[in-house]
Amino acid sequence: MKQMTISPVTRVEGHGEVRIDLNDRGEVERAHFSVVELRGFERFLVGAAVEEAPRITPRICGICPTSHHLAAAKALDQIFGAEPPEAGKKLRELMMLGQYIHSHALHFFMLAAPDYLLPGAGEGDRNVMGLAKGSMELVKKAIAVRKFGQRITEAVGGKPIHPATGVPGGVSHPIQESQRASLLQMAEGVLAAAIESWEIAHSLMDKIDPSVGLVNTAFMGMQKGGLFTFDGGQVQVCSPEGTTLGSFSGADYVSQMEEYTEDWSYLKFCRLKAGQPYRVGPLARLNIVNSMGTSEADKALAEYRKKYGRVVQTTLAYNIARYVEFLWACERAKELLQDSALTAQKTRTPVEGVVNRRGVGIIEAPRGTLIHDYTVNEAGIIERCNLIVATCQNNYAMDRSVEEVARRVIRDGKPIDGGVNLIESVIRAYDPCLSCATHMIKTENGRMASRPFIKICISGVR
Amino acid sequence: MKIAIEELAGCSGCTISLLDIHEELLNVLKDHEIVYSPVIMDVKEPPNDIDIAFVTGAVRNEENEKRLKEIRRKAKKVVALGTCACYGGISGLSMLSSNEEIFRCVYQGVETVKEGNLVPGKVPPFLYRAFAVGDLARVDYYITGCPPKEHYLNMILPLLLKGEKPGLPRKSVCAECDRVMGSVEGWKMKRRHEGTPDREHCLLGQGYLCLGSVTFGRCGATCPHNNIPCHGCNGPSLDILREPCRDIHNLIVRRIVDLTGLPAAQVEKEMFDIAHTLYTFTIGSLIMEDKETSKIRDLVKGGNI
Repeated sequence: MKQMTISPVTRVEGHGEVRIDLNDRGEVERAHFSVVELRGFERFLVGAAVEEAPRITPRICGICPTSHHLAAAKALDQIFGAEPPEAGKKLRELMMLGQYIHSHALHFFMLAAPDYLLPGAGEGDRNVMGLAKGSMELVKKAIAVRKFGQRITEAVGGKPIHPATGVPGGVSHPIQESQRASLLQMAEGVLAAAIESWEIAHSLMDKIDPSVGLVNTAFMGMQKGGLFTFDGGQVQVCSPEGTTLGSFSGADYVSQMEEYTEDWSYLKFCRLKAGQPYRVGPLARLNIVNSMGTSEADKALAEYRKKYGRVVQTTLAYNIARYVEFLWACERAKELLQDSALTAQKTRTPVEGVVNRRGVGIIEAPRGTLIHDYTVNEAGIIERCNLIVATCQNNYAMDRSVEEVARRVIRDGKPIDGGVNLIESVIRAYDPCLSCATHMIKTENGRMASRPFIKICISGVR
Repeated sequence: MKIAIEELAGCSGCTISLLDIHEELLNVLKDHEIVYSPVIMDVKEPPNDIDIAFVTGAVRNEENEKRLKEIRRKAKKVVALGTCACYGGISGLSMLSSNEEIFRCVYQGVETVKEGNLVPGKVPPFLYRAFAVGDLARVDYYITGCPPKEHYLNMILPLLLKGEKPGLPRKSVCAECDRVMGSVEGWKMKRRHEGTPDREHCLLGQGYLCLGSVTFGRCGATCPHNNIPCHGCNGPSLDILREPCRDIHNLIVRRIVDLTGLPAAQVEKEMFDIAHTLYTFTIGSLIMEDKETSKIRDLVKGGNI
């Protein structure tokens, strides 16, 4: 028995590796995706003043901080019993749109595209810099669209990374008319670029092999009256064939899903209560919704469904589904930026003490359904906390996709040309966010650092 | 110059902050080359001839430490990029609990796991505490910020890559804030979410625990500007860094005492959850822990509950 490791898995957020066990004949016995970096948010938030959660939890991930910021803020709305005013709600929506545009553009153009647009490139060139050598125009476009997303987040959230303005009852500060006007102006150009580049995403449909990394799972995603939404809808669960299995909102999530662990990864796994694996994120959401609700995204969705059908299991189609969502976010951002209610001065409903001891914020983050669940004492200090992130929910599927591809690319104990990257590209399709997924710290192969040892160290023996 | 970007225990936000100089990045790449950065490219190991390495994240496990030592060996200059690399950042909060407590909570304690659920074992080892990058390796430059801001990176990156030292402001967040003091009569400590702060006056003066006066600037005071008290994400101000007897806790207490005339003991009593409100970004830093007046040792001993 021999073990082969691909480490680190690159062009993904965070620290992960692929471990492949080979038998004596050099065949793949088993392969796993293992996450090797862990932190500990669910534990160290216990004891925190709950109003700090929207400031602390964005630091879970620097690519999707707004999702954590707003999932926490939504939980706080419930805990402090306040409904945000109209402008507060719209500004939060705009902030999330900024997040989708930046995150999806980053993944599609800068992380995933090199696999499909630079098929023959070597290790050093198969990246966004390599893309620039061939097509500077495309990279400039990618920079411009991602910049728009970050500019939105900066305008509404105060900072493009780790926004800070989400508070219980709304948003801390209005945006100015001049900010709205300049963002709207950017939106026009960005939407045109996004529509133009659908061609690239469309061309991937012919380039990808649908059997690569194929797994069969159920799906989970939010919808509102059949339309795509990332906030305020019902989370729906459907079978691998597309039959609705259930739906939930708020604290009911615990009746739908459970988490479990495997010995070889710090990343927890999720499954439905009945035991089935499921997936979340762009592929799942497009399987759940009937339509996107904006014209260009719906046109793209129709082409996507023409190719793949109504319920899609094809793992690599995540990349195309992500682009459909990116188009939607650009269209919706432009639409919302035309709304004069966005600049209203009242953005926040003031709050005082704790009204409810528990708050559950559910939001569709770019990578999938995100749940922040806080239970507090009467003074608003966190007693219990549960964070369920997209990447945990996709963990089973990612892991099985990895094994499927490993079996096809390992010959006589060695990967075929391009085989390692094919394994990684299937992980990449899920756009995993490994920092998000790691709310805890590492063991020491059974030798866990004990508290007395810490005490000795801090009293000077270090 | 050959540039490397290494990720330790963190969120990748600092790497994204380098991408957030947007089209300027294309200018930087005309003269310089990124040779290693796992988030954006496939090179698996850092090459031997790195001119400048940006290290982001804290050191929390043996793999982080190994990578840090390796990049230090292979790079002529090492820059600690961001608050985690400079002061341990948010990952340092994990020191409030023992490893056993964290495992029990995450794998066996939350509502969605079954009782007695497995704790993974075939996973790499963890250090006994969190460290900032500078606690374990020689650092040539520190760039604070969670993450560092675009205008600031635009100002320093071109110079740094030319091998020049940029002249930079060294003031606190307050120096970049446009608020005025106003009346502090009847001062009472508020929780950061309570009521609606007025936009004109000092947030600390209004009773909100705003860390602007004890926090290094260069962020444009963006949080106070947006009516949010400063949480200290840029790390401690220069006077705290310079003076061994000055710490975030004793300095903010002294500031409130100066402002209000209240006795220090009373102000200290009104402080709440200081782990998450004062030391959020610095608890994993040896420099900050070693200060005689630091509360970090007590917090780590006592836990956060």
